[in-house]
Amino acid sequence: MDVFQGLVQGFEVAFSMQGLLFVFIGVSTGTIIGMIPGLGPITAIAVMIPITYGMNPAIALLLMAGVYYGAAYGGAAASILLNAPGTSEATATTFDGYPLAKQGKAGKALAIAAIGSFVGGTISVIFLTLFAPLLANVAVSFGPPEYFALMLMGLMAIASLSEGSTIKALLSGVIGLMIATIGIDDQTGTPRFTFGTPHLMEGIDFIVIALGLFALAEVTSLILNRSAKLKDMKKIGSLKITKKEYKELAPTMGRQSVLGFLVGVLPGAGGTISSFLAYIFEKKISKNPEEFGKGSIKGVAAPETANNAANNGAFVPLLSLGIPGSGTTAVMLGALIVLGIQPGPLLMTDHTDVFWGVIASMYIGNVILLILNLPLIPYISRILLVPRPLLISLVIFFCIIGVYAVNFSTFHLYILLAFGIIGYVMRLIQFPAAPLLLAFILGSMMEQAFRQSLTISNGSLSIFVTSPVAAVLLFIAFLSLLVPIVKDFREKRKSTK
Amino acid sequence: MRRFILILCFSFLTLFIVACSGEKTGNEKSGSDSDEGWSPEKSIEFVAPSGAGGGWDTTARMAAKVFNEEGIIDQDIGVVNKTGGGGAVGWAYVAGKAGNPHHLFVASPPLIDVPLNGQSEYDHEDFTAIANLIADYGAFVVRADSEWEDLNDLFEDMKADPSSITVIGSSSPGSMDHIQFVKVAKAAGVDIQKIKYVSEQDGGELTALLNGSVDVFSTGVAETVQQVRAGKVKVLAVTSEERLEGEVISDYPTVKEQGIDSSFVNWRGFFGPSDMDEEAVQYYVEKFKELSDSEAWSDIRQQYGWDEMFMSGEEYETFLNEQREEAKQLLDELGLGK
Repeated sequence: MDVFQGLVQGFEVAFSMQGLLFVFIGVSTGTIIGMIPGLGPITAIAVMIPITYGMNPAIALLLMAGVYYGAAYGGAAASILLNAPGTSEATATTFDGYPLAKQGKAGKALAIAAIGSFVGGTISVIFLTLFAPLLANVAVSFGPPEYFALMLMGLMAIASLSEGSTIKALLSGVIGLMIATIGIDDQTGTPRFTFGTPHLMEGIDFIVIALGLFALAEVTSLILNRSAKLKDMKKIGSLKITKKEYKELAPTMGRQSVLGFLVGVLPGAGGTISSFLAYIFEKKISKNPEEFGKGSIKGVAAPETANNAANNGAFVPLLSLGIPGSGTTAVMLGALIVLGIQPGPLLMTDHTDVFWGVIASMYIGNVILLILNLPLIPYISRILLVPRPLLISLVIFFCIIGVYAVNFSTFHLYILLAFGIIGYVMRLIQFPAAPLLLAFILGSMMEQAFRQSLTISNGSLSIFVTSPVAAVLLFIAFLSLLVPIVKDFREKRKSTK
Repeated sequence: MRRFILILCFSFLTLFIVACSGEKTGNEKSGSDSDEGWSPEKSIEFVAPSGAGGGWDTTARMAAKVFNEEGIIDQDIGVVNKTGGGGAVGWAYVAGKAGNPHHLFVASPPLIDVPLNGQSEYDHEDFTAIANLIADYGAFVVRADSEWEDLNDLFEDMKADPSSITVIGSSSPGSMDHIQFVKVAKAAGVDIQKIKYVSEQDGGELTALLNGSVDVFSTGVAETVQQVRAGKVKVLAVTSEERLEGEVISDYPTVKEQGIDSSFVNWRGFFGPSDMDEEAVQYYVEKFKELSDSEAWSDIRQQYGWDEMFMSGEEYETFLNEQREEAKQLLDELGLGK
């Protein structure tokens, strides 16, 4: 069956009464779940599994997919307005989104996030339609050595997330790597730094750290610096994006749609990593990198475009190979199995309605999301008008709910609190929090991939250069380390002359 | 404006309640006083000590569904996922419900392996074994274009040069995917301390096999079917005693028919907390027996490729203890026992 025929069949599923209804329910639930700090698509989809019992599998999957990419839209709101990442994928959006809100440009930031999500979502679904089976080969081309190289490349970017002192950024990154070692070590089954409690066996969840370091730390400093002038914060500003800004943003959104999609295709990488990489990439190639972190519109567009693109990318291995590309798609895969469909390479031919129905629903879902999200911006932004004491309590309230919902344990609330305090102290001594998070999220995968590689190669490091993909990635990592040093050296020589 | 915020707060609250509604726990007095033995007076919770979608989760959800749909148990049954520690988080949760017969959980070999590895302070003796329900089996998978045609080919190469072959699985060393392979390899005379095993828990097992990073994938039967149909992989052996029935899987040769005297069963059953009332245990045993014998459950077994394997009471206890002895021996030999 060719793509066109398939897509027509897909639209028949998606445009049916039931299809449209559940796409709408999915994306709107996703948006709301995404908006609540901490509650992410995994929680939402897990709650939905019992609802999908006995449903047509195609409809069930398009509902769950809707929640997934809907959450990537909604996640930006809390990141921008409250500095509290709505989902882990929206963490990088806080870097510039919140400064924009502080400058009274919350409306614009939210509009850019919505449009970026739409562009990323739509371009990537076109890729998904045209190249899913082809790209399946890309998905399987990455083994442990390639993953290690990719993660190392990402890690090298830590220095570029610094605001001022590079040393502090690196130190912060090291702490992130250390935290990543908490939990059962996959390769030996040994619990590390768990202090004998089963609650730490799975390690610490990314969103717990992100909410602590960003949201709670921000709230703490708001409480302690009562005199701080945040008058502008009450302004929402215009949603309008000027022609000039559109011109500026178009290449960013275009690039990140492609890059985000490709990162998403790799099993295990996913939305959070892609949004960090997108942010760093745009900062590196920007002519004005100093604007990043202070309210750059590109700093909002890049992660928001990339995370939506990555979410769709994760459907490539799921639909064409039966391999989950991310935690959320793993839950979806489980749900499909419960519904009696064993996803695999033959899904496309055995269950054409499921395969194409989901892809078609994404076109519709993205349009619905844009229509849903843009007019809501002025209302959602009004949360900023809530008196500060109330707003602060609300943020704390949501953080607690979000963390509790991760695994329904009060233990992690204490960890949240601890990271809130750590985050505040880090601010006081001007340690950037972003490198810690980046290192944390890359750390465990990088370590496992490194050790898997060495087991395979019987301890020989040559495995990292005999694979061409790994070699190229390591070379880029090396360059990204070298270039700033050479630049620095040259500038110093210039100034001494 | 104010109204909007109110609505917003309200909708969040509703969501919160919905999200937490799976969390019903209760400490009220359980059990009825009637003379006809115990029966549940409120909803029952099935704990899957893993995320949604895995083997434990599917078993719990399917059992709950059939129990309710067939009217075997009238009370609502909710499935709760307690993720973490390869099961340890869920076990700790149920261990805290001592004496409360409204909380059961699904278990399988990791309930034996994980405590032996020293990763859980609770083992099967800290719970009440109610009934075993089904059996699932392991499969050893290689790429379709692999030179190994059967298990003996593989093991011969492994004996000759153990450093050239890597096995991958999704559990940690010392847990199921590893143990099932090691057990069979040992029976074939392979030096099990030299087997190279890597654990991959981010979903990349199959990609690592397909792109040649690793050579053998030790997994469950269900995971292999679609990949075999698509011609991407072949199954060298399945760990059941006899050939399985069903499309595709009936083609998988058993370990035994290849001259290696070994098998591995991934048993799956239900356990309750410690100190359960004798009458409550009796109630559940009867209900699980009824479930196991039902037409609807037979369909479910067929759908997922599970075998019937009902055990309860002393028979189950003995079986579990044997399983533990066997696992302990292997783990000690591997140097993983604690």
